[in-house]
Amino acid sequence: MTRITINGKEVEADPKKPLITACHEHAAQVPMYCYHPGLTPVGSCRICQVELQQGEIPPRIVVACRTPVAEGMVVNTETPQAHDARRQCLEFLLKNHPLDCPICDKAGECDLQDYSFSEGQAEGRSVEPRRKLEKRKNLGDVIVLDQERCILCSRCVRFFEDVTKKPQLTVSGLGSRSVISTFMDRPLTGNYQGNVADICPVGALTLSGFRFQARVWNLDKHLSTCGECSRGCSITVEVLRRKEVKRLRPHFNEEVNKWWMCDHGRFSYARLNAEDRLQGATLHQDGVPHPVDRETGIAAVVDMLRVHSGAYILISPWMTVEEGEQALAFCHALASPPRLLAPPTNDLKDDLLHTGEAAPNRRGLEGQGFQTQSRDDALSALAAAECAVLIGERITEILGVEALAELSNSIRLIIFDTHALQVSATNVCIGIPNAAERTGTWINVDGHAGRIAAAKPAPPGVASLTRSLEEIRAALAPVAGEVGS
Amino acid sequence: MVIIKRKELSFIEKLYLPQIFQALSHSFRAMFQPRITRQYPEEPLPTNEVTRGQPRLTLLEDGEHLACVSCGLCEAACPAYAITIDGHETERFIEREPERFEIDMLRCILCGFCEEACPKDAIFMSDELELADFSRAALVYDIDKLKRPREELQGRIDYFYQVNDRWRTPSSTS
Amino acid sequence: MPLPLVWLIKVVLIYGGLITVAAAMSLAERKVSAWIQWRVGPNRVGPWGLLQPVADGVKFIFKEELVPEGANQTLFRLAPILSAVPPMLAVAVIPFAGEVSIGGHVTTLSIADLDISTLYVVAIGGLGIYGVILGGWSSNSKYSLLGGLRASAQMVSYELSLLLSILVVVVLSGTLDLRQIVNDQAGPIFAWNIFALPVGPIAFLLFVIATFAETNRHPFDFAECEPELVGGFHTEYSSMKFALFFLGEYCAMTVMACLTTVFFLGGGNIPWWPDAPWLLELTCFLSKMGFFLFLFLWVRWTLPRFRFDQLMALGWKVMLPIAIANVFVTGALLSLGWFA
Repeated sequence: MTRITINGKEVEADPKKPLITACHEHAAQVPMYCYHPGLTPVGSCRICQVELQQGEIPPRIVVACRTPVAEGMVVNTETPQAHDARRQCLEFLLKNHPLDCPICDKAGECDLQDYSFSEGQAEGRSVEPRRKLEKRKNLGDVIVLDQERCILCSRCVRFFEDVTKKPQLTVSGLGSRSVISTFMDRPLTGNYQGNVADICPVGALTLSGFRFQARVWNLDKHLSTCGECSRGCSITVEVLRRKEVKRLRPHFNEEVNKWWMCDHGRFSYARLNAEDRLQGATLHQDGVPHPVDRETGIAAVVDMLRVHSGAYILISPWMTVEEGEQALAFCHALASPPRLLAPPTNDLKDDLLHTGEAAPNRRGLEGQGFQTQSRDDALSALAAAECAVLIGERITEILGVEALAELSNSIRLIIFDTHALQVSATNVCIGIPNAAERTGTWINVDGHAGRIAAAKPAPPGVASLTRSLEEIRAALAPVAGEVGS
Repeated sequence: MVIIKRKELSFIEKLYLPQIFQALSHSFRAMFQPRITRQYPEEPLPTNEVTRGQPRLTLLEDGEHLACVSCGLCEAACPAYAITIDGHETERFIEREPERFEIDMLRCILCGFCEEACPKDAIFMSDELELADFSRAALVYDIDKLKRPREELQGRIDYFYQVNDRWRTPSSTS
Repeated sequence: MPLPLVWLIKVVLIYGGLITVAAAMSLAERKVSAWIQWRVGPNRVGPWGLLQPVADGVKFIFKEELVPEGANQTLFRLAPILSAVPPMLAVAVIPFAGEVSIGGHVTTLSIADLDISTLYVVAIGGLGIYGVILGGWSSNSKYSLLGGLRASAQMVSYELSLLLSILVVVVLSGTLDLRQIVNDQAGPIFAWNIFALPVGPIAFLLFVIATFAETNRHPFDFAECEPELVGGFHTEYSSMKFALFFLGEYCAMTVMACLTTVFFLGGGNIPWWPDAPWLLELTCFLSKMGFFLFLFLWVRWTLPRFRFDQLMALGWKVMLPIAIANVFVTGALLSLGWFA
């Protein structure tokens, strides 16, 4: 550690990190556009200028993101010279920046807007017209570029160079004609394009899926965990009007995903907004579902399990640790072995984040004592079973509706899932909340616990899985005692 | 403690009858005074550009599209949470326009914050004050009920600029 | 034309007229109050709002009838009837005009000519209080009960002055027959009892004040007294039952206005024209009655309500002694031949 002085206060700073990090750590407000802690600093925007005095040399203005920390540095962020330097820099950045904040999706979380508001001048001095460039340029399916808004910080360029190691963007053209573009105008590819919209300090790069969908100050942000692979990236679930998940964004987590997440996870929110959810429960007779309330469904399950003890129980790897605990007790009460359905795999595995294992909590549930069973084994066990209970989000989806449709009608099939299963073998379906509607913990592939948070209310008539299982267990308790004796 | 000594009344005053007759004559004369009642639906309330009636959305010169870009500032400024806006993308030069713009007139308190917040001169307080219907749902006004040609609101717009010019700077109005 | 048919025509005419007047009064009350307060009053239903009573009636009929829990069902339903019927009965003996020829029968324009009609009117009129008291008591509500109690105390107090001022008239005319009292006042205007100096004006004043108290009108409407008792004795009433109380009140006002006319203003007599045609006499009667009806409204929208103790003090300490003295003076003067 090195001792430096920031705004008259002697502090310890990490010499391996640039000066701007030390400033931020010690509450000195230094704006930044091109600097991003996850990317190589280049010092192209010049907005992070501070006044630096070192030894005998008179004070001078330097960019904090490209200056390494050295012993005895005296840094001042609030001197008139530093303010002047930053203000002039800001004026140049705003010279060609269009005033379309009312339209821009970044408004409300835009670094340039925030700093212009606090430090910028109200009136522009330039009389020349602003640059006219392309406002709506599609860079692939995910990202839309607005060249007018771009301040050429090159964060997006460096993201593809530094993080995915597959450069796809560059700054082309010279001087005032510089724009961000792909090589040979080829569309962007890869599973990590969405991150450039997050790191863009202005509204130049936007997600085509989120474009003009909502104002960011209307979104309620809930810290949660992505469930699309066993990495379990920390994310924020952003919900509009307590109803609709509008976007998922990575949340900084040093140990898991740093600042990033993959597009596969980022665009998985459509599933969280599904409209055709199972409300309450359904009782199926000859393959026709009859909607009933949850209590009636639970009573039907209890009646069925009284007759068929030792039912075949299979749980989904999307269940949380808390739900797993309850499911374990449920298995013990029915004297059934606790079984976990093996998560499906996909070919998205890469060396950055995605693990290729499309379920978030296999490790946590295995640690609790569930035995993993492959899909084929599970299906053959189901075909032989007299009574089966399938528990958890997406379990019918992993097993496959077609495969379940082939089950004979003699089986008593009880399902806890977010959607009703429309096959002839089904007897009872009970609705459960999905990943954006419940609270719990997932253990990722490396053993890190990730918390998921209820970001929106569950559909009417849906109670937590924990509660439903507990109620069934309580209703079965005396019968289970008789069986035990 | 204050002892108030009441005035001794004379015999005539104690009778009260003169006062009663005086009062009766007063009220009788009142019957022939000019009426002060306003026959409301036939005689509308006087309004002018200072009247803050219900907010209305202005149309562009083409008379077809709203000036609104659904930036959501009025929604954020609204102290009564009366405004709900959903935007969507448009092919026109302004890129975004409201797909749904609803003002719940039952919640609207006619404060005029939306008018002040609007960066696009898209919402102004009209002189329309009447609000009645047979259902609550009908009083949630959508774009069709809210849009007005700019000329109809011109008086208010001019007045608005007159009183707000000193707070505005040239660059912030563009 | 058979005689019963003649009676029927008279009954229909007079009661039809009474109900019409009562309905018109409900409109007049609102119109006069509006005029005095520089307003316009009801003007939406029909021309100048003339159909407002019809609209009110229709509304009253379609309102829900509520009977409060714990109310005495029988009395609660009976009370509005008891309130509305007595004033209607009393109107039977009012001599509206002199002799009329209906279908060849020469008859007088009143339903019945009793020779003790004064007693009849006083007796029947005194029954009206039962409606108010029973209505107040049977509602099972503290406000109603207080309203009923006040009404009974007030009516007992002022009935005395009322009767004593009638007594002066009866003594002066020497008859209990209302028609005789009217005929007695025929001739010049000085024949009217109000001008029977010195006792006539005093009796008139006492009578008018007492009628205000008897009909529960301002400034003596303690039975209702909204600021203190919500709605008074009819707090719990709704729909047509509520309307009946109002009908009773307006009928009572009409009867009282008729009696004032008969006792003090010569009934249908036109001064210095004793043999005027009956139609003119009737018009004369109705205009005198109309003035007193207007007086009820005029006073209501001019004077504030008394305090209850002031009401009692006025009744017992002022009006009753004056009324008694008035009767004695009348008797003394009569025996001295003053009125001869």
